[in-house]
Amino acid sequence: MARHHALIPRLASFAALLAGALAAAPAGAQQAQSWQFGAVLDVAHTTRALELGGRDQGLQLGHSDLTASGPLGALATARLTAVFATHDGRLEKEIEEAWLETTRLPAGFVARAGRFASQIGYLNAQHPHADDFVERPLLYRAFFGGHWNDDGVRLNWTAPTPFFLQLGVEAFRGKRLVEETAEPTGNPGIATAVAKFGGDIGASHSWQAGVSHIRNRREAAVEEEGHSEAEHDHAHHHHHHGAQFSGRRTWMVDATWKWAPGGNSRGQQLRAHFEAARIEGLNRYARSSDRHEANAVALVWRFRPDWETGARADWLRVRIPHGDHFHSGLLREVSAMLVWKPSHMQSLRLQWVRQYDAVGFESPASRSVQLQYVLAFGAHPAHSF
Amino acid sequence: MCWPSARIRRIPSSGRLVRRALVLLCLALAVAPAHALRIFACEPEWAALARVLAPQATLFVATHAGQDPHHIEARPALIAQLRRADLAVCNGASLEAGWLPALQERAGNAKARDVFFAADHVELIDPQPGAIGTPWSGDVHPEGNPHLHADPRNLLAVARALAERLGNEQPAERAAIRARLAAFEARWQQRIAQWERRAAPLRGKRVAAQHTTFGYLWRWLGIEQIADLEPRPGMPPTPGHLQRLLSGLRGAPPAAIVVAGYQDPRPGRWLAQQLGGSVPLLILPSTVATEAAEAELVDWFDGLLRELLAAAD
Repeated sequence: MARHHALIPRLASFAALLAGALAAAPAGAQQAQSWQFGAVLDVAHTTRALELGGRDQGLQLGHSDLTASGPLGALATARLTAVFATHDGRLEKEIEEAWLETTRLPAGFVARAGRFASQIGYLNAQHPHADDFVERPLLYRAFFGGHWNDDGVRLNWTAPTPFFLQLGVEAFRGKRLVEETAEPTGNPGIATAVAKFGGDIGASHSWQAGVSHIRNRREAAVEEEGHSEAEHDHAHHHHHHGAQFSGRRTWMVDATWKWAPGGNSRGQQLRAHFEAARIEGLNRYARSSDRHEANAVALVWRFRPDWETGARADWLRVRIPHGDHFHSGLLREVSAMLVWKPSHMQSLRLQWVRQYDAVGFESPASRSVQLQYVLAFGAHPAHSF
Repeated sequence: MCWPSARIRRIPSSGRLVRRALVLLCLALAVAPAHALRIFACEPEWAALARVLAPQATLFVATHAGQDPHHIEARPALIAQLRRADLAVCNGASLEAGWLPALQERAGNAKARDVFFAADHVELIDPQPGAIGTPWSGDVHPEGNPHLHADPRNLLAVARALAERLGNEQPAERAAIRARLAAFEARWQQRIAQWERRAAPLRGKRVAAQHTTFGYLWRWLGIEQIADLEPRPGMPPTPGHLQRLLSGLRGAPPAAIVVAGYQDPRPGRWLAQQLGGSVPLLILPSTVATEAAEAELVDWFDGLLRELLAAAD
């Protein structure tokens, strides 16, 4: 809650800047260069809540947002996004994005400051309403609270090479990943470094790969030994915005491959995606062999312009901190989905999920069926690859 | 850093490698501005026009006639191209709104922010000022129909503006670009007059078409599009919508059913069959090939007229 108070002056100044920019926006300017507003509504029904899931059982308002984006003067762009969602029957509101980004730095540099989603991995920087599945992979739900955005700065450099190469560093307060620390920690709490590569192979294939590293000085507060099992369970069911499992060093790799006949992805497209993460240095009691690991592999097939189907397999192995020792945790999950997209502003998705082989997780969903409807109004940011 | 060699000499001998690297870097920097102008063209028609005006430029062409220009992915290969471009030449009128901003953000190339938009230099048809896209209205372009290259008169207006912009980018080339523009204008105006004479029998003909891809061609030639196979702009044809169209078209069949090369031909084919086979299905290329220049632009309009005239016979 404290972070909301800290945000108020920041938001006030942002709103003033925003109003100034709106007043200054020339009439009749190219749409791409003027301020744009959009909204997304995400409603889902879940027959059974998933372990580490972000959706309650029953009807739930998912990651719904109001967003404004556009130029701020001649040298920067800005975006403000407010998110609404229900968790455990309560409506939660938060500012998810409030950032400024340069547009005129020389030599391929782009700098950003404010609150934004870290660019680690493949999915994290993407808006959840564009996801192919109702829930993010176990990897993101366990290690990044589903979708990690934080207060910080970023510097990216894109190389002037015939293939795509981008290097980036970020520094964050880290409070939105690890809420409570074992002891006071300085700023920045978390730093990231990311390299992304990509290109085309012939007319029909395209690919992207990335390597990410996260340095986390915020050691999560360890649960006291002697707490009852009931409290332990409660902790795992409580909705967390931050990471459930964290550590000093995280390595991630991701690879995406897309195929469309002749490069015309409108009618048909096959997308394959793999992501893996390993976290080391879990806390002061951890041995070098104590580590969290997770991976996810997904395949999605657009077989008509308005229909897609896909499957995903997730795997998670963690060391659950418990006082000065650890318990083993293991969870597997498979999902299959069918989605109808009558236009790019609407989608209706039916998903089946099974969680199994659970160790250290109290209530895996042996079967859950989810129905999700996403509705977008107005403009929303162009989707990245 | 690159200038005084004396200062470089002060680097201790252990920094010989560093010195060599610096010299190489300076050479690279000195050589860099001498490269030919690199143009990122969002669509092949604007690449062709750029070739007419600046034949020595290096061109990256982001899309081709086999792709739906509204639905292009912000692929890494395109980011790498935009990163190296000196100038981006695009259509505008929100045609690239779903992908160009993502490319610009990730390319981080300040020169690619001031995009030359063809639509800024042409009066668009069907503007819908103030229209806001709702989830049920399809892809609404408040500025108007973005597919402006299908009217050759628009290419003249865009060529004039593009020549101006290219001249600003390369002041040393300005005179040559103006000369090429003048020659192109003379030839193109002649072509337009020839095409208009040839297409006279098409005036007043009625067609059914998928999307507004050829809206400017219809207006130029006096053809009327009496039905759109899409239920809403940008939404794929649905059986229910086609059925409704069919009952309307049976009484007064169109001269042809027209779909673009990148669209699925099956809905159009179904409609043509249901109309008894007397109405031809025309699958027309929506633009020129990636490597095209003026000759291919001419061939494209020639081909469109030839197919339409054959169908109207």
